[in-house]
Amino acid sequence: MKEKHNLSELEAIATRLRLHVVDMVAPSGQGYVLQGLGAADIFATLYFAEATMDPANPDWPERDRVFLTTAHNTAIFYATLAERGFFPVEKLKSYVTDGSALEINSSERMGTFVEATCGSLGQGLSVAIGCALSAKRQGRSSRFYAIVGDGEMQEGQIWEAAMLAGAWALDNLVVIVDYNFVQSEGPMDRVMTLDPLMEKMESFGFACQEVDGNDIPTLLAAFDVARDTQGKPSFIKANTLMGKGVPSLEGLMFHQLRFPPEVAASARAELEAPR
Amino acid sequence: MNTLTQLEAADFINRSFKPLPRAYGDALVEAAQADPRIVALCADLVPPTETDRFRDELPNRFHNVGIAEANMIGIAGGMARSGEIPFCHSFCAFITKRVLDQIAMQAAYPNLPVKLVGFLPGVATLLGVSHQAIEDVAILRAVPNMAIFEPSGPEYHAAMVKLALDWDGPAYLRMKRPETLPDAFEPKSLDVGKGVIRREGGDATKISAGLSVVESLNAAEVLSHEGIEARVVDIASLKPLDGNLILESADRTGAIVTAENHSIIGGLGSAVSEVLMDEGIGLPFRRVGIQDRFCEGGSTPYLMNKFGLDAPAIAQAVRTVMEKKT
Repeated sequence: MKEKHNLSELEAIATRLRLHVVDMVAPSGQGYVLQGLGAADIFATLYFAEATMDPANPDWPERDRVFLTTAHNTAIFYATLAERGFFPVEKLKSYVTDGSALEINSSERMGTFVEATCGSLGQGLSVAIGCALSAKRQGRSSRFYAIVGDGEMQEGQIWEAAMLAGAWALDNLVVIVDYNFVQSEGPMDRVMTLDPLMEKMESFGFACQEVDGNDIPTLLAAFDVARDTQGKPSFIKANTLMGKGVPSLEGLMFHQLRFPPEVAASARAELEAPR
Repeated sequence: MNTLTQLEAADFINRSFKPLPRAYGDALVEAAQADPRIVALCADLVPPTETDRFRDELPNRFHNVGIAEANMIGIAGGMARSGEIPFCHSFCAFITKRVLDQIAMQAAYPNLPVKLVGFLPGVATLLGVSHQAIEDVAILRAVPNMAIFEPSGPEYHAAMVKLALDWDGPAYLRMKRPETLPDAFEPKSLDVGKGVIRREGGDATKISAGLSVVESLNAAEVLSHEGIEARVVDIASLKPLDGNLILESADRTGAIVTAENHSIIGGLGSAVSEVLMDEGIGLPFRRVGIQDRFCEGGSTPYLMNKFGLDAPAIAQAVRTVMEKKT
């Protein structure tokens, strides 16, 4: 089932997801806050407008499948799954506590809605492609969305997978890169740039779009274009801002972040402040 | 001397290839004809992995994904998550060591029916150290949910498909394609977790797998002339392992030699010793296998001899345990 929301509702959902991210990470200070805040608009758009799924029946074979291949970005992922109805919102309080299935890196032990165990970077896109090939063989119209990381695209397996998706014209596949420009050791250009990324993906056979990944109308339009694209997989370079929505954190380029209680309290207040 | 036209050269080359049996590949096609969930993936080694007939007869269920093994395992994981049973094909070295993390995360951890089919086991290839898998069993034996099956000859190749399908989760088939046309054979069946007694004898037991089974049988023949009667067990199911048969053999014969086309570290010899140690059984024991070293390319008989895997080496190991027994 596809969710139906107008723009202001989607923006309210994104804010709610950001509040969850802050609340989930605050108790332990563990988890990827800046990345979660940055990706909230992608998750809101994908799960609450674009993808067809049924939380009451997560195994539904006709569902669209979303693969978070940067499986460490789980504060925003779990917040989204809970708000979408896959499990009670209350469960978010167990994030990164001993014995909880809500681990830093998401795993399939949580349920089918974690479509693959992707903490080892570079693998999830191949799994999405396998599902996309099976769907074509089985005559299903499901669509497959892989949210990959920009740093993750340094993994060789991403390019094996991209080569095949382009060569075999998998138009039921959408690759969204959460382009926040930060990897473990800092800004990407300090480690290894992906540029020219759009040209690379175009040459691999993808229909490419570059969008503001923090602008919901633009993301919605990009998914529309991808759905209308025949004979090519789609690539959406979604430029996102680390810490988006919390002015005091916006643009901080740290992969890891200690999240002290004072910062958490401020972040919550900033998110709740009227715009 | 007359030179050949291109057409004539091509014709000579084509006629120089003798058709080899394809017992595994044929069994896979037949299984797939009966079960629409079965699909075949290959990383650009189609005839060497016996998947040419599958490619030609079931093209909608066959994918040559190119020379990209890591991607192949991920794709197989996606297909298995979509209700299919993918059989992935390459050489043993590449379908295990090159893609261990992908196997662990996309097949074994989710316990999916992804079947890994490798050819060129152990030293048995001309292609050299890059193409030899002498530690693959050790590595995959340590991966939870994984089963490992290895046939001792072409009569057991069709049974490999059955074993792979009888095991619900991920499985590794360690295959050796016959290099020459074998004598006529009747296909034989195998069961998950069951060894096969291939020859009886009360003085010692040779527990072996794959190519080493024939060597063990040949060694038994030689030993018999010396008055030593050795039981030969074929461990086609390396994991799960037939612990009961191992313990019964230890009890009955009082001495054990293991023989494998693999490193002595972590493979069949280690697995058998684990079974014995867990039961507190100490007895004369030797492991025949590759002695913690890299090998080299060559003909299989040459390599089996050079690296101490052949019948004379196994016979010598049996004589050693027999001396310790008395």
